[in-house]
Amino acid sequence: MGLRYLQPAPGFKEYLPKDYVDLIDFGPFGKTDQLDATKLGQFKEIVEEHPMCAGCFMAYFVRVFYASLPNPEDTIVLGTAGCARLALSQAAVPFIYGNYGDTNAVASGLTRALKLRFPDKTKDVVAIAGDGGLMDIGFSMTMHSWFRKEKFTTIMVDNEVYGNTGGQESGMSPKGVQLKMAPKGKKFDKIPATELAKQAGCVYVAKLAPTNVKRMAKVIRRAILAAREFGPTFIHAYTSCNIEYSIPTEEVLKDAREREKKDFGFEEYMTDEVRQYLEEIEKKEKANK
Amino acid sequence: MYYVAKVDEEKCSTYNCKQCTLFCPEANTLMFDEEKNTAWVNEPRCKGCALCVYVCSDLLKRDCIQMVMVTAED
Ligand SMILES: Cc1ncc(C[n+]2csc(CCOP(=O)(O)OP(=O)(O)O)c2C)c(N)n1
Ligand code: SF4
Ligand code: SF4
Ligand code: SF4
Ligand SMILES: [Mg+2]
Repeated sequence: MGLRYLQPAPGFKEYLPKDYVDLIDFGPFGKTDQLDATKLGQFKEIVEEHPMCAGCFMAYFVRVFYASLPNPEDTIVLGTAGCARLALSQAAVPFIYGNYGDTNAVASGLTRALKLRFPDKTKDVVAIAGDGGLMDIGFSMTMHSWFRKEKFTTIMVDNEVYGNTGGQESGMSPKGVQLKMAPKGKKFDKIPATELAKQAGCVYVAKLAPTNVKRMAKVIRRAILAAREFGPTFIHAYTSCNIEYSIPTEEVLKDAREREKKDFGFEEYMTDEVRQYLEEIEKKEKANK
Repeated sequence: MYYVAKVDEEKCSTYNCKQCTLFCPEANTLMFDEEKNTAWVNEPRCKGCALCVYVCSDLLKRDCIQMVMVTAED
């Protein structure tokens, strides 16, 4: 589904801002087709400009995320303090700014409220926050939303640092790494986030580095579809911070490919019922093409 | 003055590619023109990261993108 709702009333289009008109003429507004991230660069995206750093792969992930939503016009994105919200808040779908650490509590309430208010409609809720937001300061709320089997998707954009506040160490920073505001070096391993997610009851869990658009889009879509029917879903994405890790911007993709080989290889877990459900949907979609 | 990516459209159009457009971190910036069969850069939006040069030159060995200096008036 595209963004069919967003059609200007007759005679009104010429008075609308250019960005809006471009979304009608060259983007998904007023159309029912599924967004297609593998065609990035060939249509006007629902995310507008953003103020994230040059070469930021977290910004890149946000771009792919918005181009992969299965149901953008009925999706609510929940962000919080941290770099990603700088781009997340620039898209033409509803965005809520949760207090830092609260994302998964707010998303829980929101998901339940939407079920009560719109019982006949499919509404998707996605919480996207950093490693600090989800695995440190928001840790208990993240875990408890999973224990409670809340039906929404959580995406951790893991840059292995508190990027937005200038380089403090997080639970997701790799062991031994020295950061600007943690000069002694990290003494502990990365938190095994995907293992925790599985143990806590997530029905779909994936880990990836952003090197393959098609796969990213598929994973994002699968996580959202599975959350609708079965329970919490989680994506752990490596999204480097070239500023805090001093990666030359032109080498950000090279770094992601290296990390993919080293410790961010693609992993996907799902329960049997989720697998069956997704296979059926994907088979139908293939037949319709 | 700032740095932006520039696509050699004549050279790019000899390939059937669209690869760099899948990796730019900026939205609505590195675009593909179906009619001319070439990538092109919406320069005021480009932040000059040169990630696209890595894709085109280092990964694909096609060398169709260069970083150039422009002034605000260009
Ligand atoms: C309750 C609360 N504590 C602390 C902060 C300050 N703060 C803003 S962003 C941030 C860290 C962000 O790190 P992360 O969640 O990893 O996101 P990143 O910027 O790295 O993407 C902190 C500590 C805040 N906004 N609210
Ligand atoms: S500080 Fe790091 S994560 Fe934040 S916008 Fe800049 S490069 Fe991206
Ligand atoms: S990667 Fe190079 S050849 Fe391919 S579309 Fe981009 S500019 Fe053209
Ligand atoms: S230099 Fe960076 S921002 Fe500019 S077009 Fe290339 S990838 Fe996009
Ligand atoms: Mg972080």
